Amino acid sequence: MSGLLSFDFLDDVRRMNKRQLYYQVLNFGMIVSSALMIWKGLMVVTGSESPIVVVLSGSMEPAFHRGDLLLLTNYREEPIRVGEIVVFKVEGRDIPIVHRVLKVHEKDDGSVKFLTKGDNNSVDDRGLYAPGQLWLDKKDVVGRARGFVPYVGIVTILMNDYPKFKYAILVCLGIFVLVHRE
Amino acid sequence: MASDRNNSKKWSIEEKPIKIDKWDTAALKNALDDAAKNVLIKHHGYTENHSLMDGRLFVCTVAVAFAMFALIWDYLRPFPESRPVLIICVSSYFVLMGALTLYTTYKERGIFLVALEKDRAGMDPDNVWTLSSSLRKYDDVYYICMTFTDGKTKEMRKTEESKSVACFFDEDGVLCTDQYEPIIEKMRESLSSEKKGN
Repeated sequence: MSGLLSFDFLDDVRRMNKRQLYYQVLNFGMIVSSALMIWKGLMVVTGSESPIVVVLSGSMEPAFHRGDLLLLTNYREEPIRVGEIVVFKVEGRDIPIVHRVLKVHEKDDGSVKFLTKGDNNSVDDRGLYAPGQLWLDKKDVVGRARGFVPYVGIVTILMNDYPKFKYAILVCLGIFVLVHRE
Repeated sequence: MASDRNNSKKWSIEEKPIKIDKWDTAALKNALDDAAKNVLIKHHGYTENHSLMDGRLFVCTVAVAFAMFALIWDYLRPFPESRPVLIICVSSYFVLMGALTLYTTYKERGIFLVALEKDRAGMDPDNVWTLSSSLRKYDDVYYICMTFTDGKTKEMRKTEESKSVACFFDEDGVLCTDQYEPIIEKMRESLSSEKKGN
């Protein structure tokens, strides 16, 4: 350990006893857990599997711009209506899409099918759906937009554009929390 | 035991002077706490009682376990199906976090050491020493409090000391044990001499 490199920043860790070391790991775990539990808590409260999303494209301008943060809810009992902005997933695409509902068909048995379009797009979304798919279903819906915070999500967009930068930051923060005592 | 010693030697840095970043409040407090602990445990051979710390570790472990369980369960059964389990995990987690806050503010109250002094004859119950301290974030005054509870009479005595941390660290942030340990020793003596007076 006392070779060519001096790991002075590890001194804190080296002085710890077993309990302190374990607490250090737990402390890291609790930071991660708190974030995770807040997220899962929001999921439970809003009923949406992803209660906060970032707008990634300009297809909804001027309503939403790239980087806006959307808050979603997805309560089963609330019907989907024309003019609402929904976030939906399409099979074969990883990223959910934020667009406005254009047409809705409801049946007596409660099943719904609807068509969407981006405000800034000149055609409806049938070209974006899975091949052969003409309508969206209730199960495709991630949530409906209830509120938004402008531009905050630009950080997320940058992080996604430069994944290495994101991992570098995460690793640095992780090491700092693990090595730094309280 | 001998091999154990050898293994831990690489990791142990007991001979190295304690040097810290003197602008880091937490590091200052930890260094002083550890040194005070040393006086009672190493110099006087009292045994440390870990139950207070273990309580906190237990609460944290259970809380993290709930979070990890929620993560795994939600991965195995995606969201709408996992909802009831998530509700249980999330509420337990936040209840436990509340419990942790209560535990540290009302039970631990800054106590970082509970040490037992065995009765020499082995007849009477142990005397209990506790050390607690505080150092506010932008303050230089370190407050340390030592209590002594007589095992036989259950009578508790307490002595406190507040001093600027500048008295215990040199300019480079090296802990001056020769400045600090006598103060702890004096506190300990004042409490044990009262004991003899009785």
